[in-house]
Amino acid sequence: MNVRLLFSITQILLLITFLGATPLSASQKEAKSIDELVAMFDESQCMECHEETHSEWKNSWHSKAVISSLKGMHNFIAIGLKKEWETPLTKAQIMKCLDCHAPTVKYASEELAVEIGNMIVTAHKMKGTKQGDAAKKELAKLNVGCLSCHNIKAGAVARGLHGEPAPGMIYGPEGEDADDAHETEELVDITRSSFCMQCHGKYKAADGETIQCNTLSGSYQNTYVAQGGSQTCQDCHMKKGHTFPGGHDLDVVKEGLGLQVEIVPYGHLPGTLKKKVKDPKKWIPSAVVNVFIANKTGHRIPDG
Amino acid sequence: MVLDVTAKNIDEKDPAKQLLFSDQKIWWEIGKDLHGRMRYGAWQIKEIVDLTLQPMETRKERFLMNFDTDIETVEIEVKLSYFINGKKGDVVHSEKKTFEYELD
Repeated sequence: MNVRLLFSITQILLLITFLGATPLSASQKEAKSIDELVAMFDESQCMECHEETHSEWKNSWHSKAVISSLKGMHNFIAIGLKKEWETPLTKAQIMKCLDCHAPTVKYASEELAVEIGNMIVTAHKMKGTKQGDAAKKELAKLNVGCLSCHNIKAGAVARGLHGEPAPGMIYGPEGEDADDAHETEELVDITRSSFCMQCHGKYKAADGETIQCNTLSGSYQNTYVAQGGSQTCQDCHMKKGHTFPGGHDLDVVKEGLGLQVEIVPYGHLPGTLKKKVKDPKKWIPSAVVNVFIANKTGHRIPDG
Repeated sequence: MVLDVTAKNIDEKDPAKQLLFSDQKIWWEIGKDLHGRMRYGAWQIKEIVDLTLQPMETRKERFLMNFDTDIETVEIEVKLSYFINGKKGDVVHSEKKTFEYELD
């Protein structure tokens, strides 16, 4: 083999390697339908090996992040955009909801994103009708799935350092070898509170708009950490794995809130109250109730 | 999050007349737009009035109850409820105690 041919083969190999690591947004076409979008981020394969984790996730609110929030998103589109801002529904606008509620929509075409927005309005407004239920069924395919966290959002808090996510790469806390199933890369970011805070806190859209569904990250950072707190979101909310229990789980709420009650019954001195009693000469049955309510969590209560 | 404290005269047969004392404390947030008006929409809320229970905070609430002089048996109940939204609430912790007064 001559040197020139060897050089050309090397160049081709380098090009293939480079293309393989090209960012998803640049290398993949934009989805034109929900099914196409779901296929692009096919998560059905995940459950083949990660059955337990998938089952946990299936019971989580992440798995229904769109259909459990239809009212709020409908109001943003039908009241916020249409009536208050008098602004058309665009992908950039609906991403103010879906960047967190369904991160895969980042890879939808402009037309599909708008269609999803309109489906949200239909699903909420026509709830209980054939059309509304059909829209909800389609929307149920969108959620915060495996690749939302383990690819799309994985390195987003340090995008400058990590760059765009590589297509098909699974970013995890350990980067365990998954044989031929998928490529894995260790990314410590996913174990940090700042990773969750991308969505569980005040959200800043690309155009600078702030969207405040909750402020968990605010009280976590400014009060809990400021007082010396060191637990991460994952420390508490991954105790039951990928079900991510929180305010919807009564056991978790019970664990996070303490109640201590001290009751002191006594007889109040006769004739010393402004309040009228039947017999002013008698001792007045009385009680002092002291209640101690403790927030044992790393964020304020209540919050979203 | 809501704390309900009630005292009932359990010698009274008519449930409508049992209540001797009730008080409530609520922890929540008020979302405001930039004009200081209360808002519910996530896109409208730019600031908040924070009336929530802060991380690692223990709040002490004290209730003084004076009943009528003919009251003999009182049941005091303290309930702490958590509302995941405006409609759905669950009792997180509760405590109920009964006291007999013999003050003659």
